[in-house]
Amino acid sequence: MSGSRARQIRPLFTLYLPVMPFVLFALFPLYFMLITSFKKNAELYDPSSIPFLIQRGVTFGHYQLLSNETLFWSWFVNSLIVSVAATVISVVIGILAAYPLARMRFLGGDSFGMAIFITYLVPPSLLFLPLSTVVNRLGLSDSLWSLVVTYPTFLVPFCTWLLMGYFRTVPKEIEECAMLDGCGRLQTLLRILLPVAVPGVICAALFAFTLSWNEFLYALVFVSPAELKTMTVGVFSELIRGDIYYWGGLMAGACIGSLPIVVAYVFFLDYYVSGLTAGAVK
Amino acid sequence: MTSRGVSRRQFLRTSAGAAGVAGILASGRAPATAQTRELSFLTVASFVPDTDKELKRQFDEWGAKNKVKVRLDIIAHLQLVTKKASEVQARSGHDLTALGPGLGDADLYYDYLADLNDVATDVAPKNGGWLNEHDYLIRGKWKLLPWWMPPFPMAVRTDLLEKIGEKNPDTWEDWLRIGKKGKAIGHPFGTAMGHSADANVTLLSIMWSYGASYVGKDGKTITINSKETRTAMDFVKRLYTEAMDPEVLAWDDASNNRCLNAGKCIGIHNPISAYESAKKDKVVVPGSQREIAEVIDHVNTPRGPVDRKTTTGYWCVGVWNFSKNVDLAKDFLRYHFQPENLNKWVEAGHGFNMPFLANLTKHPVYKSDKQYRHIPDVAKVTVPPSWPGPTTAASQQVLDLYIIPDMFAQYSTGKMTADQAIAWAEKEMQEIYAGRRRKV
Repeated sequence: MSGSRARQIRPLFTLYLPVMPFVLFALFPLYFMLITSFKKNAELYDPSSIPFLIQRGVTFGHYQLLSNETLFWSWFVNSLIVSVAATVISVVIGILAAYPLARMRFLGGDSFGMAIFITYLVPPSLLFLPLSTVVNRLGLSDSLWSLVVTYPTFLVPFCTWLLMGYFRTVPKEIEECAMLDGCGRLQTLLRILLPVAVPGVICAALFAFTLSWNEFLYALVFVSPAELKTMTVGVFSELIRGDIYYWGGLMAGACIGSLPIVVAYVFFLDYYVSGLTAGAVK
Repeated sequence: MTSRGVSRRQFLRTSAGAAGVAGILASGRAPATAQTRELSFLTVASFVPDTDKELKRQFDEWGAKNKVKVRLDIIAHLQLVTKKASEVQARSGHDLTALGPGLGDADLYYDYLADLNDVATDVAPKNGGWLNEHDYLIRGKWKLLPWWMPPFPMAVRTDLLEKIGEKNPDTWEDWLRIGKKGKAIGHPFGTAMGHSADANVTLLSIMWSYGASYVGKDGKTITINSKETRTAMDFVKRLYTEAMDPEVLAWDDASNNRCLNAGKCIGIHNPISAYESAKKDKVVVPGSQREIAEVIDHVNTPRGPVDRKTTTGYWCVGVWNFSKNVDLAKDFLRYHFQPENLNKWVEAGHGFNMPFLANLTKHPVYKSDKQYRHIPDVAKVTVPPSWPGPTTAASQQVLDLYIIPDMFAQYSTGKMTADQAIAWAEKEMQEIYAGRRRKV
């Protein structure tokens, strides 16, 4: 009896309590965002109020402000369209680039793989100026296409690098068997490798979606009309007015904005973890 | 009677049509008669949203009258620098753009801005003339139209003044005394001393009030190393140590608003935005049911031993010379700067946005609320941040690198002596004005 009780209690000390500080640390910003978004302005300004609690009643005013006085839901949809499109494009290109780099031997293959990684390291704050010329020449300024086209510049290198690592964990022999049975390269990729590499692909897609969803600089520079802004830029533009910050509204926008990411990670967490770890050990 | 062959007339008609279509396709542009004229305007979100609404109304109205499709894009002021840089890089973007906060943008983008001499000359007489015409010329030319400024009065808590037995202050020494008394009862004075626009404004105001400046009238000689600067620094050190909390070193532009509206600060140097937002949000004095807006008063920017001067964000408007619609853009500016339109626009802004035109400083809105009564007085003593020197890209860089707040902060916190802090600032400014730092 005492043995089984000890077995029940042991995880509390060996797992839950040690993990608790990290969980609290990770969740605290979300909690703070959430309660700030429900606080009245008067309470937000009051230095004597406890910042971690709602003491003077809950208000939905900040959410109403977002919904009724801004184009928040248009921005939300724009973010969704751009993120999904950029993710799909980047993952497809990433797969097509990662496969030969991981599997085939050709002159300059390793250098090419390294060059892709280095491309990922170039910060967008340096790239946005030349890219604005490119976007303008393509005639894509002030359209969501400008973002669908430019986001892959940082997503494709990342997806390629991540998928290269994952593809290398898949035994080469199963592909060779398929080839013996008559599969070509493309068929091997589509019918053999990809079904096995689903966790890696989902992991790359999740990362790509998150990076697109949070992107700010290109969305600011390439798109100006209010109705075409993405959520990150729209909320910032409308709720910071001179030296007045609409903290409640900003936090409400941040809360709603984090929902798609939270949902995506909740559904695909296992794939995400295995996709990352498998690529990491090979 | 019909012929089976193609007549010469048919051939010519068909050929001309085909050539026309080919021409349109090749140029990628519709013929002039079919083109919809478009004009776009990039501006910054005003503290008072009604200002933007009124601007949009005027823009739409002008567009409808002139059969021009118009688009007003509004962004946060912090985003404007990035947006301008990308538009200049691509030589494409909006036709009209807000410039600021400062006149230095026009020097930085001098080669990309259309000359607005004709517009400036047209609109001034109708509005009683520009306040200080020569301040706004960049290299002797009208490369921008000065648009609006938010004057910087002092906001003060009248209930706390009563508590410490003081009356509305007028000089910087008064503020030091009040700040000391306020700090003793938990209500310090508050002015930013970190990397923020407010810090530049207040510390420059103090320098000028004590007779100091950082650049001479010639726009070349660095004048920061002076007895007057040392006096101003000694004053700020006392203000920082005796009347303020150390948190001011980390303040941004919103922090002093928060400090006043949270009921903590006894006074701040700021436009009327803090008061307006306290009024709108019905913020109460902590521990009471009294609205804090009822116990806030605004007084003139303080006087020093030598002068009473201040500065602020000089928000301007310019027209990119790579725009295809320079004339249309100028036409809209003439329309917006008509007295009746400017009057409506100032009224919508509750006096927060004061144009640089003499008649508008006498707008009835400044008499509509007791709180606004000193704003025209503040406007009279407001000068560009480079005063007494001209505005240049270098003067803008001195502001953008926050050299003045850093100089004061290094001395006030005891990290440098006054001589060391001044020598550091002088070297930085000399490098900037010599052009060595501009390419950074």
